[in-house]
Amino acid sequence: MLRHAGRTIAQYGLVVAAIVVLNFALPRLAPGDAVDYLIPPEQAGTLTVEQRDRILSQYGLDEPVPVQFERYVSGLVTGDLQSSIRYGQPVVDVIGERIGWTVLLVGGAVMLAMLIGTLLGFRSAWRRGRRSDVGTLSGVMLVDSMPPFFVGMLLILVFSVALGWFPVFGALPGTEIAGLSAIGEILQRLVLPLVTLTLAAIGPIYLVARSALVSELREDYVLMARAKGLVGRAVRRHAQRNALMPVVTIGLLEVGALVGGAAVVETVFSYPGLGRLIYESVLARDYPVLQGVFLLLAIGVILANLIGDLLYPLLDPRVRRPPAAAA
Amino acid sequence: MSAGGIAVQLGLGRLRGQVSPAGRRLAAVGAGLLGVLFLLALLAPLIAPGDPSAPAGIAYQAPSAEYLLGTDDVGHDLFAMLVHGARVSLTIGVLSALVATVIGLGVALAAGWFRGRVESVLMRIVDLALSLPFLVLVIVLAAFFGRGLVTTVLVIAAVLWARPARVLRSQVIKVREFQHVVAARGIGASPLRLIFRHILPRVAPLGVAQFVRSATIAVLIESSLAFLGLGDPSRVSWGNILFFANQRSAFITDAWLWWVLPPGLALTAAILGFAFVGYAVEEWSDPRLGATPRRRARTGRPARPEAADDIEQAPGTVLDVRDLVVEYGPPATAIRAVDGVSFTVAPGSIVGLVGESGSGKSTTAMALLRLLPPGARVVQGAMLFDGRDLRALPPSAMTALRGRGVSLIPQSAMNALNPAYTVRRQVAEAAALLPRTAAAADARARELLEFVGIPSARQDAYPHELSGGMRQRVVIAMAIANEPHLIVADEPVTGLDVVTQVRILRLLAEVQERWGAAIVLVSHDLPLVSRVANELVVMHEGRIVEAGPAAAVTERPEHAHTRALLAPLAVQEGLA
Repeated sequence: MLRHAGRTIAQYGLVVAAIVVLNFALPRLAPGDAVDYLIPPEQAGTLTVEQRDRILSQYGLDEPVPVQFERYVSGLVTGDLQSSIRYGQPVVDVIGERIGWTVLLVGGAVMLAMLIGTLLGFRSAWRRGRRSDVGTLSGVMLVDSMPPFFVGMLLILVFSVALGWFPVFGALPGTEIAGLSAIGEILQRLVLPLVTLTLAAIGPIYLVARSALVSELREDYVLMARAKGLVGRAVRRHAQRNALMPVVTIGLLEVGALVGGAAVVETVFSYPGLGRLIYESVLARDYPVLQGVFLLLAIGVILANLIGDLLYPLLDPRVRRPPAAAA
Repeated sequence: MSAGGIAVQLGLGRLRGQVSPAGRRLAAVGAGLLGVLFLLALLAPLIAPGDPSAPAGIAYQAPSAEYLLGTDDVGHDLFAMLVHGARVSLTIGVLSALVATVIGLGVALAAGWFRGRVESVLMRIVDLALSLPFLVLVIVLAAFFGRGLVTTVLVIAAVLWARPARVLRSQVIKVREFQHVVAARGIGASPLRLIFRHILPRVAPLGVAQFVRSATIAVLIESSLAFLGLGDPSRVSWGNILFFANQRSAFITDAWLWWVLPPGLALTAAILGFAFVGYAVEEWSDPRLGATPRRRARTGRPARPEAADDIEQAPGTVLDVRDLVVEYGPPATAIRAVDGVSFTVAPGSIVGLVGESGSGKSTTAMALLRLLPPGARVVQGAMLFDGRDLRALPPSAMTALRGRGVSLIPQSAMNALNPAYTVRRQVAEAAALLPRTAAAADARARELLEFVGIPSARQDAYPHELSGGMRQRVVIAMAIANEPHLIVADEPVTGLDVVTQVRILRLLAEVQERWGAAIVLVSHDLPLVSRVANELVVMHEGRIVEAGPAAAVTERPEHAHTRALLAPLAVQEGLA
């Protein structure tokens, strides 16, 4: 068990290292001069050759690549991700201001989607082939086929413009607020982006939950549970306990897709998280921030996968206690 | 033949390379949606001539004969933009999927052909690519590498190739070991020839499935990029229309009705179309999907037969089966698995129900518990147990009887235990039905497990930690937990080694002695069953061909089929 965990963590460490290398290589592989990625575009066009060279040496970009890489990695270790072109602040600080909103949004959406997706999926599996199953399945496939930004725009149209229930801009009201009313305001602004992101994540979770339970229902132990006299909920518990394992795995894998979804959804709702920061950085050509956010999100997704891998043995005794250890 | 085997043979399942009716319906709808959209894209210059990005009229016009979808805030013809947008969205979607599939196929062939170090390095890269947040990566790549059409296609392909690579590689490895490919390799055929003649044709169907799946995601990614303003600025696409709608607050007026809805619905239709077609293609390319019957045969809930008041159970029997008929499949083409079977079981006796695969013995056994697989039903006869016809019992009464009156030791007991719970918990669960307190049920479970030969040290084991024989003992403990009058044991020793088979049969005989339960012992192994059975019932093709006291049947078999089933014993005795 511990050896399994150790090996898993080592494998993920390798993936993180590869992401760091990729992040280092990207601006160097991209077309054009490195200077174009370091200073605001409107200034870059007017520079003389000497000015360009000065900027390059200022950032250490005239040194050999291994030296640059070493400096890059030691910078990462000390939390130095260069400075934002747009804000002039360290990238770490810019990210720090935004990250909480995205954690709230993505974390909430993953949990909601797993809860609703699993409930719907299990319900469909028990009624497979019947009208309510086919109806739910079609509905989920339809929602899953709608781009999240389109869903977000529709929700704004209905709930903000037509009904006026929710504000559509940002995460906080413009005025100073405190205490309970602050929580109310924050929740009110969270609802629509959260619903949008949850809808974007439900599809795969629902499908996995449904097919996992359908295949568990064909297992002999379910027949045996009925044969030994169990009914209703007791039989259900047997099958669902096992069908839950792949659901947890897919749910944590969904974090990767949701982080991308957040970039789009936060843009629709002007929600001040990392996704919106990506969008703003692209428009402002703020490449250091873009790289920093990518690095952080990639590592966050890897961590979610790692948690899934470490959690799985707790759910499945066959992995937790392999037969060799028990004999 | 097992009941499931019959269902598959009847075609309730699906044969290799076929698509289920549901899959075919989905494919038709999907192809229809895609057909309309591709036609729109193809005919765009005819339907809406002129440059869609040039302002055509006055801003914010409502739909009219001239502008079918009205105009946006600067007077663009929204219908023209929608039609031309189809070209960009679909072209990028299809091209990126194509590039991604080709790259994935190349990687899969290299990894699957060379194996060894090449494979492990390639698959590490695949794992890495799969674990990255793909949409964020696309955005970053697009930001660095630019927004032209070709760049966008390459960028999207760069994040999509890994899934096809992983799926196709396993197929390449499988095909590589096919007999004729191994043979061709043996006679020194060149790798290129092997790959093109033998491997590619067999990998192609899965490749098509992966292409369609990639196209589904590619359309979504392209629209997301365009929506974030990262698309080709000189071309109109659906995502790009929505980008402007969002930026310029299309919500203020009613313009959203023709500004936001049409491109959004077009995108949804394209993604849905690809997803539907993809589902069918995947079913067609992968024989494992949908290979087992999914839905109940559409026979509806059969009317419960009238309680057979006029039939009296034969005196001195615990079970009296009369003229039982079980059919599989829809009524018109039904196949009779059990055709007029009658036999009785005396209290506390062991009746061996023997026959080869497909003789209907297992179907008879499952009919007794009313646990027949989907598509099978009792159409005639009575099963009298304790004076009541099991066939006519209401479902709740039948449930109440299971485990307490009649219990089951199922076929392939290896899988009859839930892998997620300890064996003691599973036995206690059965014991708790009587009803007992949790502590009493647990004590009862310990006692039962001890009786069947699971020492207390192993009672907290999970099923996978026990040997096949031990698991079979646990299942027996579950079956006797509530002292049923009748135990139906369906091939209880199949798959175990000979020594264990004898031990388990001895245990069943002990169960019968100690609790006085009658046992219907279903097996294909007549010599083995005859060691413990009091009576034997021999079945062949759904009918009973011979029945009587065990000694009489084994010593003076009258039917040729019985003699055939006995042959192994004769051989063994001849050797002894």
